[in-house]
Amino acid sequence: MTPLDAAVLAALAGVLGFVFYKAATGLNYHWNWDIIPQFLLRYDEQTRSWRPGPLTLGLFATIRLSLWSGILAMILGLIISLFRVSPSLFKRQIGTTYVGLIRNTPPLVLIFIFYFFIGDQIISLLGVDTFVYTLSDGTKDFLSWFFGPMNRFPQFISALITLALFEAAYIAEILRAGIESVEKGQWEASASMGMSRSQSMLHVILPQALQRMLPALAGQFISIVKDSAIVSVISIEELTFQAQQLMTTTYRSFEIWTLVLIIYFVLTFLCSLAVRKLELTLKRD
Amino acid sequence: MKKSRILSLMALLMLIVSAFGCSQQSPQQQENAKAPETTASQLDTILKRGVLKVGFDTFKPWAMKDKNGKYIGFEIEVAEKLAEDMGVKVEFVPTKWSGIIPALLTGKFDIIIGGMSVTPQRNLKVNFSIPYEYSGMSVVASRKLAPGRSLASEFNNPGTTVAVRLGTTAAEAAKNYLPQAKILFFDEESQTVQELLNERVHAVIASNPLPSTLAAEYPKQLYLPSKKDFTKEPIAFAVRKGDPDFLNWLNNWVRVTMSKGWLQNHYEYWFFSNDWETLIQ
Repeated sequence: MTPLDAAVLAALAGVLGFVFYKAATGLNYHWNWDIIPQFLLRYDEQTRSWRPGPLTLGLFATIRLSLWSGILAMILGLIISLFRVSPSLFKRQIGTTYVGLIRNTPPLVLIFIFYFFIGDQIISLLGVDTFVYTLSDGTKDFLSWFFGPMNRFPQFISALITLALFEAAYIAEILRAGIESVEKGQWEASASMGMSRSQSMLHVILPQALQRMLPALAGQFISIVKDSAIVSVISIEELTFQAQQLMTTTYRSFEIWTLVLIIYFVLTFLCSLAVRKLELTLKRD
Repeated sequence: MKKSRILSLMALLMLIVSAFGCSQQSPQQQENAKAPETTASQLDTILKRGVLKVGFDTFKPWAMKDKNGKYIGFEIEVAEKLAEDMGVKVEFVPTKWSGIIPALLTGKFDIIIGGMSVTPQRNLKVNFSIPYEYSGMSVVASRKLAPGRSLASEFNNPGTTVAVRLGTTAAEAAKNYLPQAKILFFDEESQTVQELLNERVHAVIASNPLPSTLAAEYPKQLYLPSKKDFTKEPIAFAVRKGDPDFLNWLNNWVRVTMSKGWLQNHYEYWFFSNDWETLIQ
């Protein structure tokens, strides 16, 4: 550490300290951190056991939402990106239209449109609503591990599809760039080995492309975790929605927002660490 | 090369046209399909399903989450009693206030039980039952920025900034009563409170008891310019239009429950006592 580094660090600490000092003394606000822990973890008198608080439940919902929509967006994104690099003009145009349409509209507007107009059509078409009511309690409990409370399942599915459709456009672009970054010679070499186009894509191009696009993909997945906060506007009970509800009840805005900030940071930071690890493993191979 | 390009373009165009064709056709098809359904009341659907789906948003003390994550509040008790009298289970669907009417219209739930005031504008989109309660609008002001004002009308000048929650009757009341003041709209009640405590607005308009509880919690910073509420608004159940059977059932439920004193009794518990405060913090 050079003296300059130390000076920068000291200045940074000073600024942060000043902000916290101002927040603690300058605001007309009754700080009350005592009531916050119960929102994370609470002791249930009736069952005599520890139960997750509202914010923890919201965190679970956020994780479920990001995980499923991440997987769905990955599959959809792969299909779209293959369309984008396809030799067929028709497929290319479909891919371009999709990406262009999604990337050039604000996500908030998209969420509302999908939820109120398209989501409904899909849900009623699949008969999800009636399906949930026919389930036995045991099945519901089991499924709620994966999808959250089953009585909110149609809304959850709707949000999940919306988020996945939206993120797929970005993932498709990452995948396309990855595929196109592989040198032409690789295509020619695999063709000379007698491979068909799909074979060379699967065995030669994609494995090479994957390593190059992993950092960008990881960034996009972390983005999904953060973007999932947007579905709070359509009343999906994820972390942000739970926090807003708690604030409306308790008026403890600063404490709750601070806590939510930390939770999101920890979640996405853990994701980054996991991806860095994966990257190193792939490099060694 | 060129021919294939034109061909594929045409194919894409056909696809788009057919997609639009479908979407144009589908409302008609839906109408045809729904025609017999609309004659059947939502009441029957609820009874068959065995579950009443209730839309609401967190509004202290109408509906809020307690420490155990369960919903409590005046509206929650009303909804539970309503479902009990109907002989079905109740399912709560928390929904952002600004989108609660579209959510009702698109069938995300059967009924809004959420301290919703009747307004002619809302009534154009939904049907209201007869009122089961009344809510009053009040002002809470900052001692530092707007000291010593006694009437709500003293806030009606361009130098005054007022915060309200978006989509509420407080927002409408602010526009009607204080046309000259600058009005800021927020999505959540807690945000308006924060603006007031941070001294960025002179006052907050909201339905009671929020103003009086705020003034009691922050006596050094906030005060009530007027002890009396300046509006009295009917609160009613909102349902989708074109369902006289459901509405008839709701109206008579209100009459019966009111005559027994049940509504008044529970209203007093949630609005004039603080016994439940320990349940949420």
